Amino acid sequence: MYALEKVDKRFPGVHALKAVDFHVNRGEIVGLVGENGAGKSTLMKVIYGAHQPDGGRIAIDGRAVRFQNPRQAMDHGIGMVFQEQSLIANLTVMENIFLGFERQFTAYGVIDWRAMAAAARTELAKVRLDIDPATITSRLSFAQRQLVELAKVLTIEGRVDGDLVILLDEPTSVLARAEVELLFGIVRDLTKRASFIFVSHRMDEVLELSDRIYVMKDGAVVDVVDRADADADAIQHKMVGREVDKEYYREQKQKPHGGEVLASFEGVSLEGAFEDISFELRAGEVLCLVGTEGSGREAILRALYGLRRPTSGTVTVKGRPVTRFTARDGVGRGIGYLPRERKVEGIVAGMNVHENMTLAQLPKYSVGGVLRVAAERRMARDWIDRLGIKTPSERTDCAGLSGGNQQKVVLAKWRSGGSDIFLLDHPTRGLDIGAKEDVYEMIREMSDAGAGILLVADTLEEAIGLGHTILVIKDGRFRKRFDGTPGRKPSLYDLLHHMI
Amino acid sequence: MTEFTTVTAPRLPSRERIVKWAPLLVLAFLILLFPVFEWLEDFRGGEDHFYLLDSRFFSIRNAARVAIAATPALMVALGVTFIIIMGSIDLSMEGTVSVTAVVFAFAFLAMGGTLAGHAWLAIPLALLVGAAIGFVNGVVHVKLRIPSFMASLAMGFVGTGLALLVTGGDRVRVEDEWFRSLLTVRWFSFPVMCYVALLALLAAWFIQSRTILGRNFYAIGGGEDLAKASGLNVERVRIMGFTLAGVFFALGALMAVGRIGIAETVTGKDFMFISITAVVVGGTALWGGIGGVWNTLVGVLIVNVINNGMVVIGLPSFLQDGVLGLLVIVAVVLSTNRKSISFVK
Amino acid sequence: MFERLKPHFPWITLFALAGIVGAANPSFFNPGGLALLVSDIVPLFIMALGMTFAIYIGGIDLSVQQIANMVTVIATVFLAPLGIGVAVVAIAAGLAFGAAAGFVTSRMYVPSFVSTLALGFVALSIAKWLSGQRALSMDAAMREESFAWMFGVTAGVPHEMVIAAALLAFAWFLQSRTRFGRALKAVGAGELAAVASGIGVDRVKIAAFAISGAFAAIAGLMFSVKLSGGDANLANGFLLLAIVAVLVGGTPLTGGVGGVLNTAVGTLIVMVIRAAMVYLEIDATQQQMVFGLVLIAAIALTIDRSKLRGVVK
Repeated sequence: MYALEKVDKRFPGVHALKAVDFHVNRGEIVGLVGENGAGKSTLMKVIYGAHQPDGGRIAIDGRAVRFQNPRQAMDHGIGMVFQEQSLIANLTVMENIFLGFERQFTAYGVIDWRAMAAAARTELAKVRLDIDPATITSRLSFAQRQLVELAKVLTIEGRVDGDLVILLDEPTSVLARAEVELLFGIVRDLTKRASFIFVSHRMDEVLELSDRIYVMKDGAVVDVVDRADADADAIQHKMVGREVDKEYYREQKQKPHGGEVLASFEGVSLEGAFEDISFELRAGEVLCLVGTEGSGREAILRALYGLRRPTSGTVTVKGRPVTRFTARDGVGRGIGYLPRERKVEGIVAGMNVHENMTLAQLPKYSVGGVLRVAAERRMARDWIDRLGIKTPSERTDCAGLSGGNQQKVVLAKWRSGGSDIFLLDHPTRGLDIGAKEDVYEMIREMSDAGAGILLVADTLEEAIGLGHTILVIKDGRFRKRFDGTPGRKPSLYDLLHHMI
Repeated sequence: MTEFTTVTAPRLPSRERIVKWAPLLVLAFLILLFPVFEWLEDFRGGEDHFYLLDSRFFSIRNAARVAIAATPALMVALGVTFIIIMGSIDLSMEGTVSVTAVVFAFAFLAMGGTLAGHAWLAIPLALLVGAAIGFVNGVVHVKLRIPSFMASLAMGFVGTGLALLVTGGDRVRVEDEWFRSLLTVRWFSFPVMCYVALLALLAAWFIQSRTILGRNFYAIGGGEDLAKASGLNVERVRIMGFTLAGVFFALGALMAVGRIGIAETVTGKDFMFISITAVVVGGTALWGGIGGVWNTLVGVLIVNVINNGMVVIGLPSFLQDGVLGLLVIVAVVLSTNRKSISFVK
Repeated sequence: MFERLKPHFPWITLFALAGIVGAANPSFFNPGGLALLVSDIVPLFIMALGMTFAIYIGGIDLSVQQIANMVTVIATVFLAPLGIGVAVVAIAAGLAFGAAAGFVTSRMYVPSFVSTLALGFVALSIAKWLSGQRALSMDAAMREESFAWMFGVTAGVPHEMVIAAALLAFAWFLQSRTRFGRALKAVGAGELAAVASGIGVDRVKIAAFAISGAFAAIAGLMFSVKLSGGDANLANGFLLLAIVAVLVGGTPLTGGVGGVLNTAVGTLIVMVIRAAMVYLEIDATQQQMVFGLVLIAAIALTIDRSKLRGVVK
């Protein structure tokens, strides 16, 4: 009933969707799986109207359609339940459900709250949520909010004559098992009225809920599996795709390590993020944390750096137990942190290259509080040369640099300060191939120089290629430890198997 | 387990509950506090005193006095409440109050000078002028993409300037008996203007709770991007919000003129900080989305009770501002949910 | 081309305005008259200079006017016993109030709009208490002895202008040549990145407000000496003009952009607009309105919207 035929989508430098064929039958639940960057989110955006395809066609019941924006897609019965909360927290549940469509409940400009509440109850009943529609949204649990989002999307039903297609983007990521079962029950019941596209990292759940599963890899659909034939191992192999070999990982470039322990966690927990985590990071070692979104990797980095205070356990850096958790103290212990949100936490847009580079070590570049700008600039020029940063000069605003060069500036900020523990969160995120290679090269160089590196990689290949040790985390707990030294590297499948 | 009935909305956490009622508790505390000072004083003087019963502060007469003083500020504060709920700010009230006051006064006099005649038309005219200024304010802010702080500040200058232009710096007296009955005629000890203010308060409450516009203010304050994504015409709501605020400022001007019988360039003086202080003390957050007109009522009363109470118990008047200032900080600290904000500027 | 001109709009606006006024009435460019105009605006300028630090980190300081009021009273009351030492007391008082506002803002999560407004009320109370709510006069002999230097003229240059230039140089040095200034910029332009780089953001904020308070105190001191007296309302009317001077100069309320040189330009723009009223013989009753209208135009011209991130509130 809903079909994409040979849909293409390109972004500058990326071929995000390659002739994708995709269809949903009436009342069907279709699973969509793939690694990060496989093209799932681009495909979803095309479906709900946030992106327009460059080639191919979209058809509903055989008629070609084209959506300029999500609103038009909604008018054709296509709705999206977002992964991140899109409800306004200070409004009531019913206001959120009907936001932008309140007019149906007004007479002479006066809102009839009873009518809206009654209508909201009808919508909430569809998702079997028995709450007062006048409840303030911020007081709901995550599971309840997820269902309210679903109810909000289901209001499309009242405005559209045809059938509905509803996208569920990682709807279970914040739910407990019992809540997941409830949600699935609701979704199955709703197939009388709507078809669903279910996107999830959790393979078991995809297998449990979906009638058919699309497997994506590198922007293309590599397989479509029926529920009857579905097998988790086979699908995971398909997601991984090609066999990767020593050459791919450049194993010969990885040097062995064997330094003293720089930092360690002993039974460290942070409520709501991770539990009972222990590891040791040695000089010269690249330690990779792998896991899905929200598995707790980022929080581990932030706790070691000092931006978050663990609820229990012992964090030790260079032999001393850490008692004060502030970023300032982290910097003092020789830790450099490369955050995932480069433009928010990594660089200060509006400050130039040398200002960004010295931001974490102003005492070193000042005497009695007065900056030694000449020394700053000398250092900056030196690092611009060493890392090959492409910038007109050290006085150029960092906001104008490309992502890769911004990332190099952040690395230079820590390396020039003499940090020997690096916490890298998605260091290659959003970079093009060449820039990625540069970052890999720098990581190897830093580890050769004896630094300890805790890496949350963008892809599994990166983790395998760069890591001496790989720790798999799932739902905030360690699942498996892999040796990543050349010759003994785990396969992608090994990792994936423990992640999802 | 197929139904979601087991999962009901979590009870309001106690901290959140305290935050919600903090302003009212502060008001109650103040009302009970001032008579204690009176009692202490009489006690020292060796007189019998029955706390609330024969308190000069806790009396109908004094309540009326507080109410009269609070009325114009309440009108202005109600107007700015809507803007603050949107997460913006409106600093144009001093200019708007002045200009609507003098326009009203001139029109009133020109049309016969008494409510018994055609001069009542000056009232809707003043409200219209207020709306027009608010509308321009909103348009300048939204269409020229100037932050509301700057746009409204400049509009305030224009308003005061217009008032000065119209009056040439003179005072305009409005001495019509009928109009002044706002202050002079009392029902149940309270003058008519207090009832008018009550009506305006109810109207504001109605807008806040029963109209799409009112609810959209909250949606914008709670998440402008999300509201936009849901198809809300944010620009239109903003402009209408500033227009509405202008109408309430005009009402404040009418009350101010009714109270003292004079319209002049400085009629609007001091309204800016008093009204914003009142809104904030009442528990409406400057970053938007929380609070409402009842909070503003409580905030205005807190400010006026402090001012009045300190006079009644004979505390030196120079202390009033300072005590009010410290109390503002206490009130905001009490009504801030720290967990919900990452940093504050 | 247009993009590259943007940061220079404040200058261009200033010169265009001055040009218009000068063309209409060439006597505007008379050096003596100009010097007088400039020295008249010095207290306002100093206040705006301090305020720049608060706005530069994305806050606002509404206490400056009351701090100045308080200082006029402090200066007048304590001139007799302390002589020139009263300046130290005055500046210390300003610093203390600013630091308190910074503390309340950064540690107690009270937005600076409210914290500075509230502490301004406290300063007002102190001013009223110290002055007994009367207008006070300075001891003429002591004033002469301690502060006559403030208002002298050397080689045709009024000393007020020298003081203003010195403070501007100091503020500029603080902003562009010190660790504190760099941290200030980082907090204004990207608070989260500053935190992640280990900058003590709270301390920076407290210092920024303290500086604002200290400059307000200096402004109050000069004003008080100039008028030879103190009063809890003496500096009223300064606050909004000081904010306007900062904003018109091109330091938007969102922080991280602009700086003290912009404020110098902004203050001059305010000065030219006000002088224009006189030179263009605009009727006294129209001046306020014209000022407001020109102000809207000036703000619309000088704010660099590309630097306003996110939604415009």
